[in-house]
Amino acid sequence: MIIQSSNQLSRFALIKRFPVPKNFGVSPESRIERGQVWSAPAGARHVKRFEIYRYNPESGSNPRLDTYEVDLDDCGPMVLDALIWIKNKVDSTLTFRRSCREGVCGCCAMNIDGTNWLACIRFISETENPAVIYPLANMRIIKDLVPDLTHVFAQYAMIEPWLHSKTPEPAKERLQSAEERRQLDGYYECILCFCCTSGCPSHWWNGDRFLGPAALLQAWRWLTDSRDEATGERLNQLEDPFRLYRCHTILNCTRTCPKGLNPGKAIAEIKKRVMARRS
Amino acid sequence: MARKSMRSPLAQASGLGSAKEGVEHWWRERLTAVALIPPALWFIASMIAHAGSDYVVFIAWLRMPSSTLMMVLLLVALFYHMALGLQVIIEDYVHSSVKLLALIIMRLSCFTVAAAGVLAILRVALSG
Amino acid sequence: MCGSTVERERPKSPNIQIYRPQLTSVLSIANRISGVITSFVAVGLVLWLLAVAAGPQTYAAAQGVLASPLGQIGLVIAIFAFFLHLCGGIRHLAWDAVYGFDLAAIYASGWAVVAGSIALTVATWIAALFMAR
Repeated sequence: MIIQSSNQLSRFALIKRFPVPKNFGVSPESRIERGQVWSAPAGARHVKRFEIYRYNPESGSNPRLDTYEVDLDDCGPMVLDALIWIKNKVDSTLTFRRSCREGVCGCCAMNIDGTNWLACIRFISETENPAVIYPLANMRIIKDLVPDLTHVFAQYAMIEPWLHSKTPEPAKERLQSAEERRQLDGYYECILCFCCTSGCPSHWWNGDRFLGPAALLQAWRWLTDSRDEATGERLNQLEDPFRLYRCHTILNCTRTCPKGLNPGKAIAEIKKRVMARRS
Repeated sequence: MARKSMRSPLAQASGLGSAKEGVEHWWRERLTAVALIPPALWFIASMIAHAGSDYVVFIAWLRMPSSTLMMVLLLVALFYHMALGLQVIIEDYVHSSVKLLALIIMRLSCFTVAAAGVLAILRVALSG
Repeated sequence: MCGSTVERERPKSPNIQIYRPQLTSVLSIANRISGVITSFVAVGLVLWLLAVAAGPQTYAAAQGVLASPLGQIGLVIAIFAFFLHLCGGIRHLAWDAVYGFDLAAIYASGWAVVAGSIALTVATWIAALFMAR
């Protein structure tokens, strides 16, 4: 059972959840209650159940888990298609982010059957019965499946994701060899969906101070960019027992990245750089 | 009025700024890990070899200078690596004011127990 | 901003309650737990050394405790925890050298750690039983 790439689902699971009670250690306002069942329209033949996390900030009540019966003959093949079908045909209050529907914008990142992925590139046929959809893990929820990404974007902004240059602007472009440009491959493609950060247990326990895999992968993207001239300053900002060194190479990030990127490796490269400058 | 802090998200994420250190702990954890491998394997092998041997045979083996050295190295590397690992665990899971106390007690306990072990070995090695 | 809308804290989406255990996270927490168990074993080792230094009677008493059924079970757990932490630790050292980061290697090395720890524990036990004969 060797996983070759992150889009490969593990068929066999000894345990589907860690052995903790439901609502283990959650604050009172986060407790999830049982919700209602929304049946499929009459005459639907191929019906699949979806259990979806719901939260309405205006209702004053706690989040709940609603069950929807989806007519698979009437909706597209991807999980996002099912959500849109539910919103159109059954419950127009279901709220989620979406844009490109092809896995390049990062909007529809959510937790499907226990792992973070993009809803638009997850086939319904590859989900469990019933399919269980939660928002991205460990995020403050604005409504239904819409997480508040303010803090994780603030962590991204903190690593200063732009080119730092001290030498004056050249007449044309700043030169970079093909080999130097290849150093960015596997890091520039990040779409900032935050599936990785949301799936990192270290970020769950220390997310206020630990930057998380998304921000650190981008930090590496700028550290390894040959045109950048603030390498030392970047490493100074990163070398911190919490910002960088809360990473214990758990590697949930690499396992879950919907773009097949490797944040774990990027962080290891950063740690190697920090070591390299002291000896 | 119910919102906890009016600090900007960037300021909250930045916290108290970078400590500009952290690699020392990381490096020492790896160094002690590597330093631990030979003595630990040697100890397991020695215990297998001495399975069922009596006190006199065992003490004679422990008194050999090489055995004494490896045992002392084992204890020093073991308890240093253990202290570093437990420090990370406490920092990960304890966030209240208890954290500092826990770190102090843990560090001092590791040192004390290690010292007791080293002294026990030296007592055996240097007596008689 | 008082009024009809109550300013309550936004709920947090569940994390460990619903996130699927995968080889990555399970082996990572197993490495940590085996490290904690080995810490207890280390303290036990020092107690045992104190018994050795105290003389033949205390040594015999300590050996008696280890030979008891509970002691033997504890010894198996201790040896397995040590080997799991050792193999997991070597896997971590490879990662620190930025080696073995593609998913196939992560999974292959992960299963190797599990298999290796079990094999080493069994080998140690058999060897010790053979030597004690």
